[in-house]
Amino acid sequence: MRGFTHYISGLAAATFFAALVGDLRLGILIPVIAAAAAYFPDFVDFKFGKFLARRDYEIDPAPWDEKKHYAPKLVKISELSEGNRYQFFALRGKVKEIVAKGSREVSYRILREDGSEETVTEEYRGIVFTLDDGTGEITVEAFGDDYEFFEEEFGTIEEGKDILVFGYVEVDDDGSLRLVVSDAPHPQGIADTVAKAIEEAYREGERIVKIHNIRLPGDVYRRFMIHLDPPRREVRVEMGPIVTPGGVAIGGDVPEYRKYGVAKVSVPFIKTYPKPTRVDSFSGPEIAFRRAEFKGKTVVKDRFLPWHHGFSHSLTMGIIIGLAVFAFFKLIGYEHATALALASMIGQWLHVFEDQLGFMGSNLFPPLTKDVIPGFKLGESGSGLTNFSTAWLMIALMIWNFNRFTEPRPIPIGDVRLLLYLIWPSIIGFGIAIVRSFRLRREISELMDYYTNLEAFEEMEEVGGI
Amino acid sequence: MPMIPLSELLIWSLAGVLFGSLISWIPGFHIFNIMALLVAVFGVGELMPVQAFPFFAIGAIVAYAYVSAISSVYFSVADESAVFLLFPTQRYLLLGRGHEAVLLYLIGAVAGTLFLVLGALFIFPRILPPIYQATSPYITYFLVAIVLFMFMSEWPKEGDRGKTPAERLWMAWRQILGGILVFFLSGILGFIVMNTNLLPTTSAYTRLTPMFIGFFGMSWVLLNILSNPPMLEQVPDDRVETNVYNTLKASFGGALGGTIAAVYPIITGGMGALVAGHMTSQRGDDAFIISQGVNRVIYYVGAFTLLFLPQLRLTRGAAAWLVSSIYTPKSYAEYLAAIGVILLSAGISFIFTYYISKFLARSFNVVHIKKLSYLVAVTLVVISYVLTGPMGIAVLLVSTAIGMMAAAFNTRRSYCLGGLILPVLISMTGHTGYFMGLLGLG
Repeated sequence: MRGFTHYISGLAAATFFAALVGDLRLGILIPVIAAAAAYFPDFVDFKFGKFLARRDYEIDPAPWDEKKHYAPKLVKISELSEGNRYQFFALRGKVKEIVAKGSREVSYRILREDGSEETVTEEYRGIVFTLDDGTGEITVEAFGDDYEFFEEEFGTIEEGKDILVFGYVEVDDDGSLRLVVSDAPHPQGIADTVAKAIEEAYREGERIVKIHNIRLPGDVYRRFMIHLDPPRREVRVEMGPIVTPGGVAIGGDVPEYRKYGVAKVSVPFIKTYPKPTRVDSFSGPEIAFRRAEFKGKTVVKDRFLPWHHGFSHSLTMGIIIGLAVFAFFKLIGYEHATALALASMIGQWLHVFEDQLGFMGSNLFPPLTKDVIPGFKLGESGSGLTNFSTAWLMIALMIWNFNRFTEPRPIPIGDVRLLLYLIWPSIIGFGIAIVRSFRLRREISELMDYYTNLEAFEEMEEVGGI
Repeated sequence: MPMIPLSELLIWSLAGVLFGSLISWIPGFHIFNIMALLVAVFGVGELMPVQAFPFFAIGAIVAYAYVSAISSVYFSVADESAVFLLFPTQRYLLLGRGHEAVLLYLIGAVAGTLFLVLGALFIFPRILPPIYQATSPYITYFLVAIVLFMFMSEWPKEGDRGKTPAERLWMAWRQILGGILVFFLSGILGFIVMNTNLLPTTSAYTRLTPMFIGFFGMSWVLLNILSNPPMLEQVPDDRVETNVYNTLKASFGGALGGTIAAVYPIITGGMGALVAGHMTSQRGDDAFIISQGVNRVIYYVGAFTLLFLPQLRLTRGAAAWLVSSIYTPKSYAEYLAAIGVILLSAGISFIFTYYISKFLARSFNVVHIKKLSYLVAVTLVVISYVLTGPMGIAVLLVSTAIGMMAAAFNTRRSYCLGGLILPVLISMTGHTGYFMGLLGLG
């Protein structure tokens, strides 16, 4: 659930203790600690864990310009190497020589809706020229839709002309570099690295991949989707449109010939969450690939944000928080340290319970338990309905507690009646969420059958389909 | 004192709408500051009957809640070398869709007006008094809780791309620490302004004005001057990309945030929006802009309307304090008249905003924002001087520097509200004397 939903749960937890409510009325604000304790798991994960976590591979499809904090980064030709293959950069230089111009046939792969591939050959207009920026020379190629845009932007390309050109780096068979004019990186680089990480994890035990997002001028992002397809043993990456931080597409679809990247994986793997990984605004995710046993076979499993929902999201952590709060506040002489410690522990437990309503789940009692207990799948963490229902419930409980711990009661009606008056929006919200969750769970179950299907690939191998 | 005749009431309300509409499109101008200036320079009793002042004010505030969309869409800095994260309205402007952003805002503002009017007629008089009575002793709890949440939930915008874990952690935390620094520096300045005779005692209701002009108005205008935002061609077409679900969800979220901010003191519209945005899990630029429209109408107009509510009569916001120092409405008839004025003013303000936006979208690149910003900067200095004298200019300079720091740290501008929140919290918890001693002022 969203941060504030957890936080307000802690605020509400404190109001169940008459002593703490009494303190609040006197202007003693220490009980707010219970809210901090309730938010603590996400605070630790997102303010520390995220940055301190290990990264075995770092995929940066479009490095940022260090000053402007967006892509493409303006680089010198001499700075580029084979390691930059498929990455998106900008170069500024002089056109040295026009190597070729006119029409030619270009072949590329596209992915159909059902995941199968098709090779398409089309005739495109294009241009190839060399660019010199004083530090070196590079071949620049523009074709297809990109050539049309290129011509529109720069007019006729002539030798000696100064231009600023964007594109992804390609490496030719002889090892020489080429810049292919485009408005996005090529997704093949992302697919190759993820596939490599899965294979290494199968051999070595674990590999963590950090995937950076693509931030463009105007605080917009180029979306891309990473599909792990276990039955086909493939990693497929699809370059998507430009989106706002809120995820709304605003155009900028890439042409079909550089939209897909596909990499084969030579080891069995399964997916634990039945959706492709979408990378767009804020920051890119980390994915851990871990060797595990599944249905008697050794496979690689994925774990989204491996630094999240760890020990911080366990009930054990709640006990530790309770003890720490009690020790500290007892030491400084706070009269209601026990109530505060209990409220803090309950606040943290509410966080764990609320997250358990979603998909990720947590390892609830480490070190006694080792595995993550899957969530109840009532709704996704960002669901407006479950977040609002929970937060409203907490507000209602706070008002209810404030009322029953005040004499004379500001709202002079019975406790049960008042509670019902206050919480009915939450009851309706949770009711709708539960009804929806049946359909959601059925869909997920069907998808999981696909994403954990190890047999399909093996059967295809046996019949010579691969 | 009897209520003024309806015809007079309408004339003064319309004068308020006209006044509010004329100044609210200008960046850095806030209706509260201009009203304070009006009262300080001209007085009220001679210019208009004192009973008319609340209706004049409500017309002006409604106009501000609507027309200020123009300044936040068309005259807000949008140069990425100066700011890391653009507001959705700035993004729309960069995409040539400034007019669309204004239309989205107007959808929200109309929804907010309807929420407010229906709420004021049927819900507030019955529900608000008991709920307020049950929760009002705990306002400091809510306030501290929101401030702590702002700190804890600050999203580190940088840090992901550091080369080592230590570098990543530092890049993330310098923004968070920057936010905390801005909050406490603002708080210290606010504490000094509120508790010392730095500013003349004659400017009782306006002593915070130069500080807020500096935090929000002047720093905004200076950013416009220092950066070089592109003046891109705008599309003046009347079309919006959104859907009914987003509109309803955003309206609900905006109404929730606006109501929280309107009812509880010190909690601002931005803080209310933060809370409601999390509660309803909002996503999408269209939803954000619509919810801003709802939120601002309910926050500004709703807060002021509470002054008219006979069973409650809460004084919320600088305008309410200013008006209540001159005349406080007392009867239910005045409350109903105020609701009518809100509807009328909203209709007129809608038309004003729509046509100003249409005009600006067609002629956006005629005058560069820099030129307008110079003029506004000088006017803001003059307002500060007229209201609070030479020391007001000093406060303006310091608060402008703090406002600019928030931008430099890429942190929330709302941390500048520490200038109000911190001294109020210190006062509410009975620690003013202690802090006076700590700062060597006691």
